[in-house]
Amino acid sequence: MTSIAFESVSKVFRRSKFMRFASQTETHALKEISMSVAAGQVLGLLGPNGSGKSTMLKLISTVLLPDRGRVLVDDYDTRTQGQAVRRTVGFAIATERSFFPRLTVRENLEFFAALEDIPRREIPHRATDVLLRVNLIDEAHKQTMKLSSGMQQRLGIARALIKSPSILLLDEPSRSLDAAACEEMWTWIRDLSEDGTTVLLASHNFEEVSAVCDRAALLCAGELLDCMNIRSVPGEELRNIYFEMTKGQRKTHLAIEVPA
Amino acid sequence: MFGKIIAVLKKDAINALRYRNGIAFTVVAEGAQFTTFYYLARAVGPQFRPEGMPYFLFLLIGTGFYTFLLAGIHSFFRTIQESQQTGTLEALLTTTTSAPVLVGLNAMSAFAAGFVHLLIYVGVGLYFFAPIQHVAAPGCILIFVLSVFITFAIGLYAAGLQISICKGAAVLWLLGSGAWLLSGTLFPVSALPRAVRFISFCIPFTHSLYGMRLALIGGNAPELTREIVILAAFTLAMVPTSLWFFSWTVKQARQNGTLSFY
Repeated sequence: MTSIAFESVSKVFRRSKFMRFASQTETHALKEISMSVAAGQVLGLLGPNGSGKSTMLKLISTVLLPDRGRVLVDDYDTRTQGQAVRRTVGFAIATERSFFPRLTVRENLEFFAALEDIPRREIPHRATDVLLRVNLIDEAHKQTMKLSSGMQQRLGIARALIKSPSILLLDEPSRSLDAAACEEMWTWIRDLSEDGTTVLLASHNFEEVSAVCDRAALLCAGELLDCMNIRSVPGEELRNIYFEMTKGQRKTHLAIEVPA
Repeated sequence: MFGKIIAVLKKDAINALRYRNGIAFTVVAEGAQFTTFYYLARAVGPQFRPEGMPYFLFLLIGTGFYTFLLAGIHSFFRTIQESQQTGTLEALLTTTTSAPVLVGLNAMSAFAAGFVHLLIYVGVGLYFFAPIQHVAAPGCILIFVLSVFITFAIGLYAAGLQISICKGAAVLWLLGSGAWLLSGTLFPVSALPRAVRFISFCIPFTHSLYGMRLALIGGNAPELTREIVILAAFTLAMVPTSLWFFSWTVKQARQNGTLSFY
């Protein structure tokens, strides 16, 4: 069963240089992307900075709307059925600064849970569950402004998990995490997948994608180069495949993170 | 919906309590304003009775109610601006709660705080300095409710402007200054030149303040009814268009990728 489908999706960001009538600069973030993700699959979006990974996640979560084509989430069109889409999608956004700084970890989580229509009685239990999962239970009563960036990142993931979404979007989830926290996260991503949750993980870390994903979508400059099965493909090999594919397309300044 | 209302009220209450210094400064500022008005009214003298009431009462109702309404409008804009600055806007708009409801709930919380403030401000002033006897309570409530609806509409326009052009603060400053001058907050509208009085008539707050003063002193019933009808007309025209405008700006921002810009 298809969980997410991109049908010839294009996204262009236009910026007016002065006012509407003046010339505009255009950035083609995504170009005619077509692909689908089956329910319960873990798909890695792999590519350098500016390749369109985060744009794809934002299109699925309805933070952005496509300029051309359609994005379908559990058969709901993100353009016309945004509310239904948001019920099924949990999005851990890339930025760490996305919480109310004076509220504690638990207060922040419970606030967002209330906005997700979770029954009031269930909210404290769910908050405890997700805090345990991301290993933040000892920080539950700390104000979020006092958390390290790695902890804020884990809290972002906890917020995405609290509504038990059938689709989980993770935007560079291991960026500020230490090695042990990464290993833990990869384990529970696999557990979620086994329970039927579809996971999309945007990363520029080949090792991470190789460790947790069933498939990888290779992106470069807004184009989908390939979408391949990568089970049992080691990170190093994945990296070689990617570099071979993007030869000639990559510019010299592309910052691909190569794991040590 | 009840759970969401509680969650927003709780969040704002916690925030306010953890910024304790802000509360202390507000109390001191209010006290200073009270004293200023009291001595200003004494200096002007008892013979000056704008709209048939003592000048202190005129100032008290004008500034108290005007500040309440303007703070209400600001709360919509501030909800958007703060969530842009703290980075919470994208996270909030990926929840299942729709954008107008989200902004409305946050503003409602600020309204509740503003209402308590208004009650204390006007209540203390009336009780100690300018007792009133013939309040037209139904008129008072109607004027209040209609004014809150209008504030809700203007607030949504401001929030929409903040999302689309990131200049909600400038627009509100302009609106606030203009309305402060023209809506009869500090002096009666009749003191303005005839040509300017028409602009004043087109500002809903002029009718909110005049109507509220009339209601609080149990003034002329036909005039009070006229003010209520005008405010109802403003409400009917502004509330649906503001809802449409705000939803449209959010959709445009989703389309253009500018939701988190500020």
